[in-house]
Amino acid sequence: MADIEIIDAEKRFGANHVIRKLNLHIRSGEFVVLLGPSGCGKTTTLRALAGLESIDSGEIRIGGRRVDQLPPQQRDTAFVFQLYSLYPHLSSFDNIAFPLRAAHLPEAQVKAQVQAVAKVLRIEHLLSKRPSALAGGDMQRVTIGRALVRRPEAMLMDEPIGALDAKLREEMRAELRRLHVENESTTVYVTHDQVEAMSMADKIGIMNDGVLQQYDSPTHVYDEPANLFVAQFVGSPIMNVVDCVCATSATGPTWQLEGMAAPRPIGPRAAARLRNQPVDALALGIRPEAIQVTREAAPGSVAAQVHLIEPMGAYDIVDMKVGTTPGAGATLRARTASQFVRRQGEAVWLTLDDARTHFFDTRSGLALRAA
Amino acid sequence: MAQVSLHGIHKRYGAVNAVSALSLDIRDREFFVLLGPTGAGKSTTLRCIAGLEQPEEGEIRIAGERINEWSAAQRDVALVFQQYSLYPNYTVRENLAFPLKSKLRNFSAQQIEERVAKAASTVRITHLLDRRTDRLSGGEMQRVSIGRAIVREPRVFLMDEPLSNLDAKLRELLRAELKGLQQRLGTTLIFVTHDQVEAMTMGDRIAVVDKGRLIQVGTPYEIYNTPRNTFVASFVGAPAINLFDVTLDPTAGTAKDGAIGFALDAAARAHIGTLPLPADRRVRIGVRPEDVALVGEGGIEGSLYGAEHHGVEIIAIIQAGSHMLRATIPADSKVTINQPVRFAFRQDKLHYFDPLTGESLRQPTPPT
Repeated sequence: MADIEIIDAEKRFGANHVIRKLNLHIRSGEFVVLLGPSGCGKTTTLRALAGLESIDSGEIRIGGRRVDQLPPQQRDTAFVFQLYSLYPHLSSFDNIAFPLRAAHLPEAQVKAQVQAVAKVLRIEHLLSKRPSALAGGDMQRVTIGRALVRRPEAMLMDEPIGALDAKLREEMRAELRRLHVENESTTVYVTHDQVEAMSMADKIGIMNDGVLQQYDSPTHVYDEPANLFVAQFVGSPIMNVVDCVCATSATGPTWQLEGMAAPRPIGPRAAARLRNQPVDALALGIRPEAIQVTREAAPGSVAAQVHLIEPMGAYDIVDMKVGTTPGAGATLRARTASQFVRRQGEAVWLTLDDARTHFFDTRSGLALRAA
Repeated sequence: MAQVSLHGIHKRYGAVNAVSALSLDIRDREFFVLLGPTGAGKSTTLRCIAGLEQPEEGEIRIAGERINEWSAAQRDVALVFQQYSLYPNYTVRENLAFPLKSKLRNFSAQQIEERVAKAASTVRITHLLDRRTDRLSGGEMQRVSIGRAIVREPRVFLMDEPLSNLDAKLRELLRAELKGLQQRLGTTLIFVTHDQVEAMTMGDRIAVVDKGRLIQVGTPYEIYNTPRNTFVASFVGAPAINLFDVTLDPTAGTAKDGAIGFALDAAARAHIGTLPLPADRRVRIGVRPEDVALVGEGGIEGSLYGAEHHGVEIIAIIQAGSHMLRATIPADSKVTINQPVRFAFRQDKLHYFDPLTGESLRQPTPPT
């Protein structure tokens, strides 16, 4: 297993600048997810690692060795696609054994390695079956087995479970992560699904328009998003982002949302983020679970009315309008206990968690960080 | 007033029963969701209501009137599809005006203009009115499709997976918008989806269908909290409900299977006393991940197979012998893969099913 380094990589398709000055260091044994909307450059990056695309400039190193000029077969990576690319006329065993036999390994070793991989993937009972006799999830397990059996320097996966149904995806997520825990193969995994990224990755690289937006652990990406794009791409329901007027008063900085009767003092943690920053053109960002909804006013709470209730089963998502004028005021969504609020128009009070209140410069989109 | 009622609908395609003996009563002004997997018969049902398909048996009524023999146009319903079926060479304005220009309707130019302006403002596309529809994003196109449905002011909206082609973020925004829109307009809406989140968040009531048959009708809370069988229980909710079989011992007050064994508390014992238990006392227990907790002592022993950090919470995947269970635990929990854990259930939240039929052992709640 090996480190992967991408240094100043650039890629254009005609006028389309798909990878812009990309720098990424993936450590040996890490599971890295490249996450972003379609067209963000994540798949092109993965294909460039595999050697299926060239880069226009920059370097790619795998295990310290420069590989960007090498053909795919000399890079020692294994690629898993969204669609199962199994040989239909071969059994699962023969499919998995294929790359080993192509490398002329002795049959006894082929058998041992296939059995070992099948055990990890829990497909030992499927080895004699042909792909047409397998369910979607099992087919993808065999495909992964074939990639894994060679013990490549790096596993590259392009939306490998995107075509499966929701429940199977949930199971496969856990299996893939478990496989990584046991095998510790350096893995680069591409998806547009933030749930997959959050649940499997050691680190997430979020891309948009060919630019890496943030490269960090899932928890960090979620708790300290670098900019508005990351803040709203990761997390469901989406982080609230509302225009906010911040000002300085005799007693310190204040904030005010549309619908609030008067400005409020900013808590110490949020104030630290605002220090030494210009205080105009700001947006306030807060995740739905960081807003506490109560029926009575609490110190520092803000009046609001219930606008829409979305039951999720385990909890409710409630849209509220700040202030007391029906239908007016900024909209904030909060996560509440199931059936905590019952009807539209209900008067409630919101308390925003100071430590989890973010501010963004609406011009640059960048998050303000505590100095 | 536009209640929609289906009575004993059958629809076959060759040897396949797409819809079997389906009866539904959809109330006036209701946001009603048909939820089910591919092949459940939900789109076929919608197309029967629209008049695009003719059922072999059964009766369809809108506002009390039998409409089986009416043409699609006469039914005064508006369909919105997953694919935006807009005219690409026309502007948004022309697309919206199109359904009003029919000779049958006889609207004046001014009436058309007023209605288009009103519909455009309702779905927030006023700024796009003069743009060609092939220059719009997916979300904008779907707003125009919905706008074209509401401009006619039909008695009923029928929507077939209208949000499925959109990305996750846009889907989330449009979900709330569509529900708000339906509440403002007060028009009966029948919405088909395979996505349980859409069903839960938008529906006043949900009908869960599978293989052409109705399984359960209820509010989102009823469907989630009192599923009629294991199909409904596992189709609704993410992460999915945990299901495992145990043998109950009502005298000792225990439930046991392999590595899972626990004592039932007094309330749970009293509850299972009211259930028609199978002779061998084998039952399938369903417990949702939010009703499984990690505990310091006591509880059931297992080990941590995986931990998914979702930001808002962690989904712990626990292995106990041959059983694998998911538990929702707080985001700041410190957990390591393979560590030993102890877990317990919120026993008032346990669901009991017949392991052979999958049916809930609880007496069925009367339909709402």
